[in-house]
Amino acid sequence: MKKIHKIVVLMLVLILVLSACSKPTTDNPEVTDSDEITLVVWDQFYRPEESAVIEKLNAEFEKAHPGVKIQREVKVLDDLKMTVKLALAEADGPDVAQVNQGRSDMGALIEADLLLPLNDYLAKYGWGNVFSTSVASRNSFTPDGKSFGHGNLYGVSPTAEVVGVFYNKGIFKKNRWSVPTTFEEFQELLAKIKKAGITPISFGSLDGWNAIHEFSAIQHLLVTPAYINSLTYGVNNVSFDTPENQEAAQILLDWAQAGYFTEGYPGIGYDDSNNNFKAGEGAMTITGSWFAPELMIGTDQEFGFFLLPGLSGKQTMAIGGVGVPYAIRKTTQHPDLAAEYLNWMISPRAAELWAKAGMLPAMSLPENSKVKTDNLFGETLYAWETINKNNAVGHYIDWATPTFYDTLVAELQKLLGSIATPADFTAAVERDYAQFLKEQNK
Amino acid sequence: MRKANRYPGESKWLGLLYLLPAFLIYALFTLIPIIETFRSSFFEWSDLGRTSQWVGLQNYLDLFQDGSFLKAFSNNLIFITFYSIIPILLGLLLASLLSRYPIPGFTVFRTVLFLPQVISMVVVGVIWRWMFNPTNGPINLFLSAIGLGHLQQAWLGSFQWALPAVGSIASWVQYGFCMVLFLAGMQRIPEEYYEASSLDGASAFHQFFLITIPGLKAEIAVALITTIVSALRVFDLVYSTTKGGPGESTLVTGYLIYRSAILNNQIGYGAAIATLLTVVILSLSFLIRRILSDRNEVV
Repeated sequence: MKKIHKIVVLMLVLILVLSACSKPTTDNPEVTDSDEITLVVWDQFYRPEESAVIEKLNAEFEKAHPGVKIQREVKVLDDLKMTVKLALAEADGPDVAQVNQGRSDMGALIEADLLLPLNDYLAKYGWGNVFSTSVASRNSFTPDGKSFGHGNLYGVSPTAEVVGVFYNKGIFKKNRWSVPTTFEEFQELLAKIKKAGITPISFGSLDGWNAIHEFSAIQHLLVTPAYINSLTYGVNNVSFDTPENQEAAQILLDWAQAGYFTEGYPGIGYDDSNNNFKAGEGAMTITGSWFAPELMIGTDQEFGFFLLPGLSGKQTMAIGGVGVPYAIRKTTQHPDLAAEYLNWMISPRAAELWAKAGMLPAMSLPENSKVKTDNLFGETLYAWETINKNNAVGHYIDWATPTFYDTLVAELQKLLGSIATPADFTAAVERDYAQFLKEQNK
Repeated sequence: MRKANRYPGESKWLGLLYLLPAFLIYALFTLIPIIETFRSSFFEWSDLGRTSQWVGLQNYLDLFQDGSFLKAFSNNLIFITFYSIIPILLGLLLASLLSRYPIPGFTVFRTVLFLPQVISMVVVGVIWRWMFNPTNGPINLFLSAIGLGHLQQAWLGSFQWALPAVGSIASWVQYGFCMVLFLAGMQRIPEEYYEASSLDGASAFHQFFLITIPGLKAEIAVALITTIVSALRVFDLVYSTTKGGPGESTLVTGYLIYRSAILNNQIGYGAAIATLLTVVILSLSFLIRRILSDRNEVV
């Protein structure tokens, strides 16, 4: 028996030694580098063109702030979404992290009291002049995380997005088609392109989410900005089961049945569809401005961008907004430095670097900017400026409820698969929405 | 017999002590998470899992009201055909062909046929997404090349075909495993049985059902258990091909757990599905073992 005691004691000692060994690695930075501050930042700018912008801004930040070191960690958005919720609850979690907008991400984090409200910094840095109220409200929640669209500011977004129509300029020129100015003209154009034996809209719905954009882009033309706001922020008790939404669903279905989408589109993924379009297949595709940088390199085709035009006599509204925002962990040791970093990421300098990379900055470009705008990027910039000027920046409707994304993806596939009618579609989505409103108002 | 395994004066507890390190790791990474999952399923979680409220069996009651869960579970049952039945039949056929009629390059065939089993599921998903691509995937191109263009489908996006399409990927992955398992088993069956029976006039068909199949009982039980367990806990394949779509036609419980617990922050609900799935898997495995194992032979 004595032998066992010895072995047990030995094992316990071993465990203690091992755990003692592992400790210093976590404590070390604070002990040895007391004069140097490390700011841990998690972001999702993983594409090479994007990552280069961040690396440059980080290097300039370190140079301007002696003694500060930025420890950057890059993840793709899905990975970031999954891990950031746990990481922000840790005492040594990231000081600054990109947090996806909407209820199940930013809302849940605020409810768990893990994000720092940025109102003081908003005043200090004058971010009110950088962003419109409409943009700021996309990153705002009430302190309990329940009410979206107003309350405290919790994040700032460096990039902007607008969903519109990319078109192949070569195909348009060859067939003497011009960019339509009304939705009616757009529909006529679709028929003309189809007749010419070309796929009017390059599309693939296998991944699900981009079908939401296809539907909602049409929906945005039929409804009012007030409705989209109410629907997204869950206020004023609006319904999804409306004639306008049904009409939008009907138009989408008509397009599908008229063969305006790529043949076999339900079995094609988003990236595959985009690659086809880039290779010159299909006259147009409806997606977000984030696709522009990819279309500007590595292709012999020339592409343009326009907003899906409004019904004649009606102003157009487009899905749009700002990209994934940077937020600050509530328990960070360096809140002021973190805020300084946020301010850095939305500076005029950042705007210029983003524009050079072909991405829409959420901030205005500096007056004396030398960024080239006589290209595809310039066309997306013009579209973004247009909807901003007209107060016609719509919303990603899948933010509306925590389960709206899943519901919309599944119901749109049913609609396009002729399993559900437009009326079934709006009714099914409304069930999700009404359930959410009921729980929210409880 | 047992005593002889021990040196004189050695404690009978010493053996257990050797198990301790492995057990600690097992407990830490397997047992405790299972118990935690089970416990979590009786709570409703908020604040990203930092506060919880006891709700008793509510999560389980909700499960049976949830159309998505019922759909997902019935899809899992359909997947058993593709994960288990088809691969086992195919494996039996190939194994008996390869073992009874030796062909040149046997090892090459065996390796090639087993290959799908060793590829990561995500890679398999990516490959087959391309195979099934409606416009430039080989399957549709092949169909049109042999004049069957009217059979072309948007495979993974079709309500009618998505489930069989994903299922057939699973069969492709699993049959190699079954085949190798059965090949190994067949080497144990004495060659004399076949010789003697053919002298008595038994056909290859008879031999297959009266000698090969009974001789492979243990292997079939193992194949059934592992493949059915894979069918019930499938996640990676669906995640990398259809994400449960179109609609909910390829939704499975594994994906639903991920969607509830990870994406939609419904930790308790996800835990309840996981617990139920574990119970179903354990009881099915137990049942198969009971039915297929001989009384004195443990599979």
